[in-house]
Order: sequence, then structure tokens, then C-alpha cells
Amino acid sequence: MSSINSLNKALALVLAGLIGLNGCAVKGLSPTAGPVERGKKLSVAVFPVENLSGKPAPLKEMRQALMKDITGSDVSLLGDEKIEGFMARHRVRYTGGIDTETALALKAELGADAVLITSLEQYNESAPPEIAVICRLVSLGDPPLILWMDIMGMAGDDSPGILGLGLIDDPAVLRGKVLRMLADSLAGHLSGKRERAERRGGKKRFEPKIVYRALSLPREKANYAVAVTPFFNSSDRKNAGEIVVLHLVKDLAASGNFSVIEPGVLRQKLLNFRVIMNEGLSLADEDLVAQSLGADLIFTGEVARYHDDESSRGRPNVDFFVLVIERSAKKMVWASESYNRGDDGVYFFDYGKVNTASALASEMTRSLVEKISEK
Amino acid sequence: MLIRRAIKGLQGGILFCILVSFTACATRGDVYRDPNMDFGAIRTVAIMPFANLTRDQLAGERVRDVFMTMLLATGGVYVVPQGEVARAALAAGITNPAAPTKEEILKFAVFVKADAVITGVVREYGEVRSGTASANVVSLSLQMIEAQTGKIVWSASSTKGGIGMKERLLGGGGEPLNDSTEKAVKDVINKLFK
Repeated sequence: MSSINSLNKALALVLAGLIGLNGCAVKGLSPTAGPVERGKKLSVAVFPVENLSGKPAPLKEMRQALMKDITGSDVSLLGDEKIEGFMARHRVRYTGGIDTETALALKAELGADAVLITSLEQYNESAPPEIAVICRLVSLGDPPLILWMDIMGMAGDDSPGILGLGLIDDPAVLRGKVLRMLADSLAGHLSGKRERAERRGGKKRFEPKIVYRALSLPREKANYAVAVTPFFNSSDRKNAGEIVVLHLVKDLAASGNFSVIEPGVLRQKLLNFRVIMNEGLSLADEDLVAQSLGADLIFTGEVARYHDDESSRGRPNVDFFVLVIERSAKKMVWASESYNRGDDGVYFFDYGKVNTASALASEMTRSLVEKISEK
Repeated sequence: MLIRRAIKGLQGGILFCILVSFTACATRGDVYRDPNMDFGAIRTVAIMPFANLTRDQLAGERVRDVFMTMLLATGGVYVVPQGEVARAALAAGITNPAAPTKEEILKFAVFVKADAVITGVVREYGEVRSGTASANVVSLSLQMIEAQTGKIVWSASSTKGGIGMKERLLGGGGEPLNDSTEKAVKDVINKLFK
């Protein structure tokens, strides 16, 4: 009986891997190997957590907790010593993404199928605690492909319930809850279930306020290969540019209309070509990067505000500008300005209020991607 | 009695005529348009970074982003991306991109292949106070320079928000800054296309 169960699980795993690969295939580039093989557990290397919160946080504990939650699903995780040894040998210092060279080396040396990249977006221990974690599973092929990505952002007072019984004051409890939800989301994806983010549509109130859409950007499903370059951060929040990029990457990948290039690959290209972005990407640089990656569209932008009011009465405030350049035409095909506050459209008893900047940014990028892909 | 009524009616009529004649003489003092310029020939514009005279260090960038998107959204002209503008400004050796000289503009326009260059100044951006009342205000002025000649062909300004009767009586801090910015930019764009 147990052998039948394990066979079913293995088949589900292979199917999930194939579906994931199909959804993430980059036009013009073909993956050399799939992330999973028949009858074999998915071997995953968990990278150390990248801290984008700008504050000290228990990153090691978070990584261990995440690994513990993931172990329950159908994946086998590589040991810490192996990963640390690999990172030391290859001088891997950047853990917020993976480039093709490192991915292939990780696959060849440690036999891993995929890497789990985790970024801590927000961490606040004072009451009510707030935490937001971005996680993605990237295949170790040429090129590395995003197989799964999810973002969980929660505040202790998200669901106070009757008489405040639902309030979470302990940051460790909230942390555990968020990491468990991420692990469940990953397990759900690997077992073939569709992600939560794919099911729910964007809300009207979070749509971009000003939009330019060129006629040359077709409204039909075109499966564009897209690269999202780092956004300029004009806000007072550290790493806000990277954070909004990750939100956008997640929603673009989840939409199914775009094949998103792994941010780590793009970062390496920008470094290799020594691209310096003065107020944005110039058309010459854009062409160079897009040609080398096989990208049809290049997303770029600027974050003007990314404010998280760390109090129960506070309201987050996010404001960003997105610009899309099409490689073939070398023209801007999309420009939009999105700005919202957590209490936009909230009139009665804080019903519908968004408590964290992470959740707000997620809603805004989801609505933005829907707007771009709408027919 | 009848004469009095007639005089009153006449007075009212004169007053009405005066008011009507005032509106006829109204001019748009904050707009300049070169009468010899064919604005229909402008297809591509480059927007230079705006000069910022406010306390908010990023006001220029914010207003420029909104202006760029709204100008593109009109569908009337194509706007050169900011990154390309920055590269061309560097290549043309413009020392102060917010206030380029005529020679610099002529050189710059060749690099970006633009028909016109827009420069601007953000004069107010943020909260203003008067007594106990406060409100957000946005004030900007823009000018368009023809790329071939380096001549100013259009100039306009707009101010939105600020402390009005509502803010003095009811308080509340006025409308959000983003809304005021959008209104001011929309006003300036309307002045361009009228």
C-alpha cells in the first residue's frame, strides 16, 4: 500500500515539475534538464535568507524553520554543510537570486534539482508584529527557471476577531505561521494544485491610477519573455526597489502570460556588461541585455514610496512607477503610476484595510499585471 | 415709483453688461504658445529632469514620472524613456539637465531623436500652513523647446491644492498630494493640447 502511495506521489511530482516547466519556459531559451526525475524526490538546496527588511532578524532560525516545514513534503533538502561548502568554493555571496553558471555548478557538484531562494521583506517584532517573506523555487538548468514563487506578509492584527482573540503578539508565532503557509504553498504547487495567487483576481482599488498602453502591445496571450530590472529606490525604505521587483516578478510569473527571467540571471548580465543605470536603462543597454537574455519586454521603474507604519492604527503607503520597453520596437509600450494607502476604499470598522506594505504592494502589482494582460 | 424701478432695472442691466464684458476680456496669463509653431509636427518629446525648488528632495522626480505617464496616455506624443534621456544628457555634456542651454539642447535632441524638449520647475510640493489650517499644494511650470531651433514654443504653469475655504472651515488637510499632482499635471497638459 505504501509503495502505491509513494508511486502516486512520485508521479504527481513529475507531473507538477513538467507543468511548472511548461509554464515557465522562456522563449528563445530551452532548459537543458527538468528539475525532477521519475521516482526521485526533488532535491532542493535552500539558500541562506536574504535580508531586505533593513533590520536585524533571526535569519538562521527562519531558514531552519522553513527547512523543517518543507521536509514534510516530497522534497529532499541538501545539508547545510554541503551548501556552505559550495558557496565558499564558488564565492557565492549574493543569495537573493541565482545565475546560470552557479546553477549549473550546483547541479553538477551537489546533484540538486532546484534552489529555494528566500528574501525577508519585512520584520518587526514590536506589537503588533509584522513579517513578510518572499520565496521562490528555481530550477538548476540553463537557464534557471522560476518554478514556483509566493509571498506571505502578515501583521499580528490582521484578524483580531471577537474581543481581540485572534491577535498575535508573539513574533515567533507569527513567523512560524508565515513560514508554514509558504511551505504549504510550495507543497500545494508540487502536488499539482494551483497557487492561491493564481485563483484570486486583483481589486479595482489597487489598479494603477495613470496608464499608458501602446497599441503595439497585443492584448492577446502572447507569452512574452520578460526581464524585470531593478527599480530605482527613491523612497526612504531600504531595498524597496528590489522588493517591488520581486512582487512584480511573482505576479508576472503567476499570470501565465509571461515567461519571467530569473532576477539572478539578469543581475549577472547587468554586472557582466557593466551596465550603470543613470535614472533608468538606456535603449542601448536595454537592447544589449534583452538580446543576451532573449527577452521581449524589459520592465523597469521607480519606487517613490514604500512606507510601513508600524502601529496598529497606521496605514501603509506604496507608490511606484513602471515602464515597459519592447525590444523589437525599442519603444516604450507601457507606463503606469500606481499609488495606494492601506485604507483606500475602507469606510467601516477597518473592514478591508491592508495592514502591511508587503500585502499592499502585492495587491498593487497583481492589479498591474492583470491590467497589462487584460484582453 | 415707476421711474425708481426703471432706474434700478437699468442699474442691474449695466452691472450685468460690465460683468459679461469682463469675462470677454479674460486672458490665460499663465500660458504662452508660439503662434508660428506647428505643434502637430511634434511626435517625440524628451522630458528633462525637473528643477526642484521645494523642500522634498524627490518632488521633481515624482512630478516628472506623473507628467511623463499622463503625456504618453494622451496618445498625442511619444516620450523618450528616462534612462535614454539620462544617457543622451551625459553624451551631450549637459552640465545642468534641468536648465540646458540652447546649444546643449540642439546637441541633445540629435542623440535622442526628439522633436521637442520639455523642461520644468516644481515650485511647491507638499503641505502648506496658514494659521491652524493646512493643506497639500503642488505648483509647477513647464516649457517646451523646439529641438531644431532651441526656441521656447510653449510655456505653462499650474497650481493645485492649497488652503481654500473648505480647509479653513472644516480642516482635514486638503486633498492627497497625489491627487493634487495629477490635477496640476492634467491642467498643464490641457494647456498644451488646447
